[in-house]
Amino acid sequence: MKSSRVRVIVVSLVVASITVLILDLRGGDGPLSGVRTVAASIVGAVEKGAATAFSPVTGLANWWSTVRDQSNQIQALTDENLKLSTQVREQANDAGRVAALDGLLKVAGVGGYTIVPAEVIAVNPVQDFSWTVTIDAGRNDGIEQDMSVINGQGLVGRVLKTTATTATVVLIVDSSSAVGARIAGSQEIGIIAGTGDQYSLEYQLLDPRADVRTGDALVTFGSKGGRPFAPGIPIGEVRQVQGTAGQLTRMAVVRPYVDISRLSIVGVVTRPPRTDPRDSVLPRTSAQNSPAPIPLADGSTPAPLTLGGSASPSPTGAELLPSSPASPAAGALTSPSAG
Amino acid sequence: MWRQWLLGAVTLSIAVIVQVTLLTRLGLPGATPDLVVVTVVALALALGRLPGAIAGFGAGVLVAITPPSTTILGVESLTYMALGFVAGGLIDRRDRTVPITIGIVAGSAATAMFVVAVVDGLVGRTSVPWDRMGGLLVTSFVYAALLSPLVVPGIGWLARKLEPVKVTTIG
Repeated sequence: MKSSRVRVIVVSLVVASITVLILDLRGGDGPLSGVRTVAASIVGAVEKGAATAFSPVTGLANWWSTVRDQSNQIQALTDENLKLSTQVREQANDAGRVAALDGLLKVAGVGGYTIVPAEVIAVNPVQDFSWTVTIDAGRNDGIEQDMSVINGQGLVGRVLKTTATTATVVLIVDSSSAVGARIAGSQEIGIIAGTGDQYSLEYQLLDPRADVRTGDALVTFGSKGGRPFAPGIPIGEVRQVQGTAGQLTRMAVVRPYVDISRLSIVGVVTRPPRTDPRDSVLPRTSAQNSPAPIPLADGSTPAPLTLGGSASPSPTGAELLPSSPASPAAGALTSPSAG
Repeated sequence: MWRQWLLGAVTLSIAVIVQVTLLTRLGLPGATPDLVVVTVVALALALGRLPGAIAGFGAGVLVAITPPSTTILGVESLTYMALGFVAGGLIDRRDRTVPITIGIVAGSAATAMFVVAVVDGLVGRTSVPWDRMGGLLVTSFVYAALLSPLVVPGIGWLARKLEPVKVTTIG
């Protein structure tokens, strides 16, 4: 290519550019605006088509960034959801615990028992044929052998063994368990023995002519010094009376108030009430007395909870010696006339 | 050798704790799933009859000293020891099929329960509910049968992993 021709082309291109520039700078409806409009409409259409054609690709990129955002969001929401649903579940569990503790405090408050709250942490297997549980309070919490164990429903059992931080409780349904019991509202006393069946106890009356009816409520008679059983703790309800009045041995089948299969929070009676609460602790339906107002207690401390209790010390009811499984005999009674 | 001891000690401790804190609290009908016996038998099947007997003895002691147990120390030891010894040498390793293995485990659990009941009844320590014994034995058998596919392969795998050389064969 000759250099003169190159020069011509370059110069003419420069001139054309300047011309166009000047024309365009003039503004208004110059000769160029029509050209521009036409070109713009054509290119615009092409752009549109290309954009449509490429939309899957751009969409994918777009989608990917959205997905990243969304997956982050989903992750965040899932985490939050998990946290909240755990909280809700725990709340249900907490509500159950609160109800159990509430019942326990009510019983302890009405009866005036000083209790240490504890939770059941282990249960003996069925094939051991003995009903015992482990609770998470021991000697360090002031728990000693032969203390009564109660919950919001009534008598659970007594402490059999202790370690520094745990205690083994033998339940009232265990076949080695024997509790001195009194029929609420009367002076009829007898001995309640476990049968090994979790829903029934055997009540042996000491007075063969005693008047026992189905539905009668039974409370603990109380042992000397409140051990192993503090007085006035609800035990159960008579379901069936065996034998007729006057027969030498009279038995009744008693259903315990405590649901053994659902033990959670229990209280160990570290100090019995100063006065026998008589029948006041029984559930409302069977108790004649209305429960006393419940004193407020600060349940947050693990220290013994001192609740209620009447002010004037008076002679307690008759005392039943610690009812040992070996000799549930009438001779164990020291003074059958209750106060 | 010490690895076998470690395996036995760890698995049995876990079994005993899980049994009293979880399985007994599930409130299942009938007997409690006897994870301890299942573990003893699984160890016996994996290691042989002498280690099985030792594992059974140890498991019995563990069960008796774990609160809230009130059993006489020794009853479970003797029972589980015998079960471990028998289960470990009952059938040649090569002849074991899945149903036979499950049968050995479940039968052992029911046997353990029955023997402990008889001894307890003879000693008169506690009243054994003989009227409900049939149901208890059946549920004990079923629960152990259900537990064995979860426990036996795991312990077998651990035993092979820890002790690549077979130390004991059927003697």
